[in-house]
Amino acid sequence: MIDFQSGYILRPVNRVFIYVSLFCALLLNLLPLGNYAWVPDFLVLALIFWNIHQHRLIGVISAFALGLLMDVHNSDLLGIHAFSYSLAAYLAVTWHRRIIALPVVSQALHITPLFLLVALFPPLIHWLLSGTIYWWAIGSGVLQTLIEVLLWPVTTRILLAPQRRPLHVDHTRPL
Amino acid sequence: MDFRFHTLDPVRNQVNWLLRPLEYVSLTPRLLFDWTSNYFTTRGELERENQSIKLRQSELALLATQGELLLAENQNLRQLLNFQKQLTYKTLPVEILFNPPNPISQRIVINRGSNDGLKAGNPIANDAGILGQVVRIYENSAEVSLLEDRDFAVPVQVARNGLRAAVFGTGRSNPLELRYLPVASDLEVGDILLTSGIDGTYPPGFAVAMITRIERNLEKNSSNVFCVPIAPVNRYRHALALLYETQVDAKPAPQKSSSNPTGPTDNAGFAPGRRQTRTKGMQ
Repeated sequence: MIDFQSGYILRPVNRVFIYVSLFCALLLNLLPLGNYAWVPDFLVLALIFWNIHQHRLIGVISAFALGLLMDVHNSDLLGIHAFSYSLAAYLAVTWHRRIIALPVVSQALHITPLFLLVALFPPLIHWLLSGTIYWWAIGSGVLQTLIEVLLWPVTTRILLAPQRRPLHVDHTRPL
Repeated sequence: MDFRFHTLDPVRNQVNWLLRPLEYVSLTPRLLFDWTSNYFTTRGELERENQSIKLRQSELALLATQGELLLAENQNLRQLLNFQKQLTYKTLPVEILFNPPNPISQRIVINRGSNDGLKAGNPIANDAGILGQVVRIYENSAEVSLLEDRDFAVPVQVARNGLRAAVFGTGRSNPLELRYLPVASDLEVGDILLTSGIDGTYPPGFAVAMITRIERNLEKNSSNVFCVPIAPVNRYRHALALLYETQVDAKPAPQKSSSNPTGPTDNAGFAPGRRQTRTKGMQ
């Protein structure tokens, strides 16, 4: 796969690294950071990253399974996160050819609607079910999206780092 | 489906069984921090704390003997008057694990579940007052809805004059509300609200909230009363679950229910405290 940022060909991805990174993102989400809606959803960051870069390995089904875990953790209605994660994953897989060729900053802009979808889905569903709308929940959802967008370059850097390693390291290379 | 029929509860239980160990793992950084900060407390601090705890303990021991006496006297008088016997309850110490990051509801997850005898509907309190109620139960953990949760209602009684009302939660970090009260009701800022025990879910006499603001609306003959919870809802790590036999019916007590399992002080000869619409003594 080509790294569109530098033009080099990337190393093949390690499946174990994908699963470990998703697991770490899940653990980060489970950290007791307090009940604030603006705490970024690390899992959705990692998930959408892998959906865009390795859509053959990580697709809608893994998004659904991870969303189910988040539903139970959040003591939310079963299926809210599962559905929104799968929808975001589907969109990410659909758009991946377009997004992957862009520079990282415009990538972040193109992914904003996906983050927004995931962040605003629970308040909107509660609005549908109970009839009351929480403007502050929606506001903090937008804030969460902003933070996640700012974290996107960092995510790209961390998760692509193993593939950006050089193939041959010449230890005796003169400086 | 989950909202209306609760058909997905088995799925939720299975996923929870899978997820709970991971949640415990993610709690370890906080635990490590707590341990280290505990370990490095100074000797003077410990001594001071020890002294204050000893003082408090002696006070409480004195009060406890008095309380025992009063309880026995009260039960005897109730028996003389042929009143309902007060229900007794057991307590179970619980640890608050974490606060699920859900902006819409206010819940906590505790480390005791149905294996420890906890039931859905049991109230959770700490030393100051009522914190909330168990709303979803797993085998080794449970979810507790806090007082601040939206539309969470507790039947209360004003401690000063015994006026009955119901306190409602209005969502996170908003003051609690006392609804359905006429303008002329005798309320003052600073009144303490205790659980009345009318619903049979909460044992009577636990502090719930304190009135902070009253807005009287003469035209609508209603008053908006705002209060704050007495127990610091989001502060402590430990609490007590009250294993209280939840009574939801108002039927008279049948004979066969004399084997009431609640409470250590329950005598088998008594008619157990089954809630009635009118007590036997006042025909």
